[in-house]
Amino acid sequence: MATLDPLIHAPARLQIMATLAALPEGDALSFTRLQDLIGLTPGNLITHLRKLEDAGYLTSEKTGNGPASHTSVALTHQGRAALDLYTEMLRGLLNGL
Amino acid sequence: MAGPGDAAPSGDDGELDPRAAALLLANTQRQARRALDFRSPRLSLLGAAAALAAFGAIWLSVRGQHPYKGPTPAGLVVLYVIVAMRIGTFVYARRRAMAGVSGGSLRQQRAEAVAVAAALIAVYLVMAALAHAGASDSVVYGVYVGTATLVVLGTFGAASSAARAHWPGLALSAAILLVAAGSAFAGPRGVWLSDGVGCCVVLAGYGAAQAWLLRRPGSGP
Repeated sequence: MATLDPLIHAPARLQIMATLAALPEGDALSFTRLQDLIGLTPGNLITHLRKLEDAGYLTSEKTGNGPASHTSVALTHQGRAALDLYTEMLRGLLNGL
Repeated sequence: MAGPGDAAPSGDDGELDPRAAALLLANTQRQARRALDFRSPRLSLLGAAAALAAFGAIWLSVRGQHPYKGPTPAGLVVLYVIVAMRIGTFVYARRRAMAGVSGGSLRQQRAEAVAVAAALIAVYLVMAALAHAGASDSVVYGVYVGTATLVVLGTFGAASSAARAHWPGLALSAAILLVAAGSAFAGPRGVWLSDGVGCCVVLAGYGAAQAWLLRRPGSGP
């Protein structure tokens, strides 16, 4: 039986992926806006973002230096495909229940 | 967005039931769409009211004109004030929704704004040319100006929506184009009333459709 992607199948990371997928491909969202939308603590969010970035599902870019620096994150093409597959498998699982 | 009342914890990893995952996915998608898309039902309904008020003010200023001379200064002041407020509302809503967003779509939106501005300037230059060529007031300051602006905005909206595969936006723009084309047959006075009522109905219907789409279960499983 096919299993759901364990990277995505976690509450925080699922929310991160779904939120970033709402942007058009090629757009990025700032760390602070993402944190505001999802409601995670900064440390928690960074942990989950790193896991997704290590898997190639999203990219992050830091601009500026020191206190004025900004980090933006965006889903990669691979990340969008992974989320689409996850959604499809989830739908299949629920239909089978 | 996420909070204690949600179906699944939004913090650390934990056991996640597929049903809970589906609910969380659908809720997150819906909330993200609401937060990141400035085209809200409220904005559409405000647009409907603005269209009725603006075109209505012009119609009230010309309905008793025999022969037709065109909108009065008072009517134009009301129109421009409403248009300015509408633009201000639109810019505020867009800034709020797009806060923290960067990338190609922002650049594209800026380019589109420049294109629309250029097209509208062309509309008014042609109006001046028609007047200079001796066309009647009922054509220049009535039928032409009452329809050309809507044709430009509707055409632009249709092209932009089609490029993004945003079908509700395409339907809205096509409806605006039909309103503009149909209003041209109402004559120099009637064109303003027809534009106002037509745009109001179309925008209100669009806002209602947006509200319905936002409330129904999201695109998740």
